[in-house]
Amino acid sequence: MKTVSASPHIASKNSTRRIMIDVLIALCPCVIAACVFYGYHVVINLVVCLAFCFGAELLYNLIIGKKWNAEGVKNASVKDLSFAVTAVILTLNLPAVMPVSKWGMTAVGKNGSVVFSFDTVVLCALASIFAIMLVKMLFGGIGKNFANPACTGRIFLFIAFGGAGAFGLTSSLFGSGMAATGATWLGKRTSVTGAMLLDMFLGNVATAAVGETCVIAILAGYVYLSARKVIDPRVPLMVIGSLALFAFLFDVVPSGARGISMLYETLAHVLSGGLLFGAVFMATDYATTPNTFAGSVIFAVGVGLITALIRAFGAFPEGFSFALLVMNIATPLIDKYVVPKPFGYVKPIKQKKRRGKGGEKAVSGNE
Amino acid sequence: MEVKTFKKGMRVPHNKHAGAGALADCPAPSTVYIPLAQHIGKPATAAVEPGARVRAGTRIGAADGFVSADIFSSVSGTVKAIAKRRTPTGSCNHVVIENDGLYETESLPKLVDRSRESLLARIKDAGLVGMGGAGFPSHVKYAPKTLVDTFIINAAECEPYITCDYRLLVECTRETLCGAKMLADVLGVPRFYVGVEDNKPDAINALVRVAAENNIPADIIALKSKYPQGAEKQLIYAVTGRKVPVGKLPADVGVVVGNVHTAFSLFDAVENDTPLYRRALTVCGGSAVKPSNLWVRTGTTYADCVDFCGGIDDGCVKMISGGPMMGFALDSLDYSVTKTSGSILLLSGTEANTLQPSACINCAKCAKACPMNLMPMYIDAYTLRGDYASAKRFGALNCIECGCCAYTCPAKRPIVQSVKLCKRKIRELGL
Repeated sequence: MKTVSASPHIASKNSTRRIMIDVLIALCPCVIAACVFYGYHVVINLVVCLAFCFGAELLYNLIIGKKWNAEGVKNASVKDLSFAVTAVILTLNLPAVMPVSKWGMTAVGKNGSVVFSFDTVVLCALASIFAIMLVKMLFGGIGKNFANPACTGRIFLFIAFGGAGAFGLTSSLFGSGMAATGATWLGKRTSVTGAMLLDMFLGNVATAAVGETCVIAILAGYVYLSARKVIDPRVPLMVIGSLALFAFLFDVVPSGARGISMLYETLAHVLSGGLLFGAVFMATDYATTPNTFAGSVIFAVGVGLITALIRAFGAFPEGFSFALLVMNIATPLIDKYVVPKPFGYVKPIKQKKRRGKGGEKAVSGNE
Repeated sequence: MEVKTFKKGMRVPHNKHAGAGALADCPAPSTVYIPLAQHIGKPATAAVEPGARVRAGTRIGAADGFVSADIFSSVSGTVKAIAKRRTPTGSCNHVVIENDGLYETESLPKLVDRSRESLLARIKDAGLVGMGGAGFPSHVKYAPKTLVDTFIINAAECEPYITCDYRLLVECTRETLCGAKMLADVLGVPRFYVGVEDNKPDAINALVRVAAENNIPADIIALKSKYPQGAEKQLIYAVTGRKVPVGKLPADVGVVVGNVHTAFSLFDAVENDTPLYRRALTVCGGSAVKPSNLWVRTGTTYADCVDFCGGIDDGCVKMISGGPMMGFALDSLDYSVTKTSGSILLLSGTEANTLQPSACINCAKCAKACPMNLMPMYIDAYTLRGDYASAKRFGALNCIECGCCAYTCPAKRPIVQSVKLCKRKIRELGL
């Protein structure tokens, strides 16, 4: 007996799992760079995040499927490896160590550096469960989450534990220059020099998250994802371009910088904070960004604008993850109104009765 | 030569393994089953009684109404019965003829002149239909009610595996071009285009050479080898730059697109007075023992064709009538070859997609591939939710079912199946 099913009868070799593996490969340079700059803490965090993301997704599958046996495990959605992508991005979005001052579960060595921080392990586990259970699985799993799980997990920790000292800055192991002062350029503005920009490019600076460190590693991931056609290479460029523009307008010009330092400060905006990492790995997430190119333009401009606003006027030095979250939430709205015209579309003759501009071509959920 | 194409679409592996094999005559079996519905429209009514003696070319089915076509016997012998048999998409009456193996022929009367009217009459009398798969009666198509200024022969053959049109172009270049010229004459169009994908350079060269030698006013257009280059609206856009408006027909922009094989068959009907009862057919796929191109008489079963090509190997998981992107899966090979059967594919496990669908990840690859610029993932989602009105508003009715969306989908979602269901539901519910 042969298979009988609807056309097409052949399919590309592409699969969800293959895409996730591609993203994981693209993240490898960033993971390696993070390990080089921040040492074994990153490895610990990564293992904890991977374990808890895997566990949370598997547990959710078993609870919902009510099949507590080998078959339930076999059919669980963990096999598409999207949990691993969430775990790696989450790890790279967190500091290397997150000591909570009240818990005091952080062992400090003789020279004042952190040897092992159990606080960090607990927070990583919390963020993983939050990201997978609450943000991803409760909304229907892969493809249905309304916000980037890793980004939301980071924001959850940042809001809940930021006051407890957990989000201090981490200096790179090869601390020099700005890294020695323990502040990012966004947190403590100094006049930008060429050497500083080079440090930022190479990753030789203090950062709030380990993945943001090395621009070269991020670029390697960008090139790989673009070459594999996993992401639209135009989207990260639009995000970066719009941030550069708005940061220039809201921050660089009012700061009084003139001449070449205007360019330097704009470049410092681009190279600092989570922008580059987020533009490549998070603003290109499938489920939480618009499905059309026109929609992506709106999305990218929105992310750039909100990031620039937070950096220029907000209470936090860095705002990329907040900007991303806001635009994630705006994505269903964008997708509702930005619908491409079919091939051969002709404008219908205008009706006298005026109706909502987008309401005719798109659909609201409760209709 | 400039290569033309359309927007979006995608590359699919060509796998045209049978391309090198010349068209071979497939012997008709001892009994042929000729369906009376080989076209879109009303099935023909049987014009012979059981016991009647027929020859190859005897009219055995009479067109029933305007949108219908005559059916001709493909062998000489005795009519055994008029019996209902299954077809890949349903069932219809078949004329069962016992083949006497003599292959006596019966010709159409000689054509008195080559005027427009006589040619159009010959199209009808020879039972010509669109031989690309749809099977629309040609005498209806080539008498358009609107003004037509452009005629395009669709020789793109963009579906993987299939090579029968290519073999016709290479082996019967003059016949096909002359037939196409006759079709253009019927439409009153002085020049016509032949669109060929550039993965068939020898076909393009042969066409250019023969057109020049025989003074045939044909423009041979090289098209980019991209799927679905042969889809009517995409072909028209690539060749003329005109967009067929949503919900309209090519004739509304002054274009008629014709099939290569139809052109060849018209030549046969005019020059040799032979009505349409045989066609070129490709047997291909990883599980076909000897991928071949055949001349097959209608009423021969698929099984006979496949056996003639050495049969099926054990690894076959899917049998298809038509191309792998738009064809029908077959449950058995006990179906008759008709005027529109272009290929039989036998796909092995490594070729055919047998994976179970998983959740949509919203990657929008389907939307990036859709040549009609639709949002297939929304149509799929709304259809599965039972919200056909919303699916319609996202363009379900504009879908040409080319299969790009489902081919490229990483989650292997059967999007085309959803669209087909959606179209039917919209019709049923009158939305």
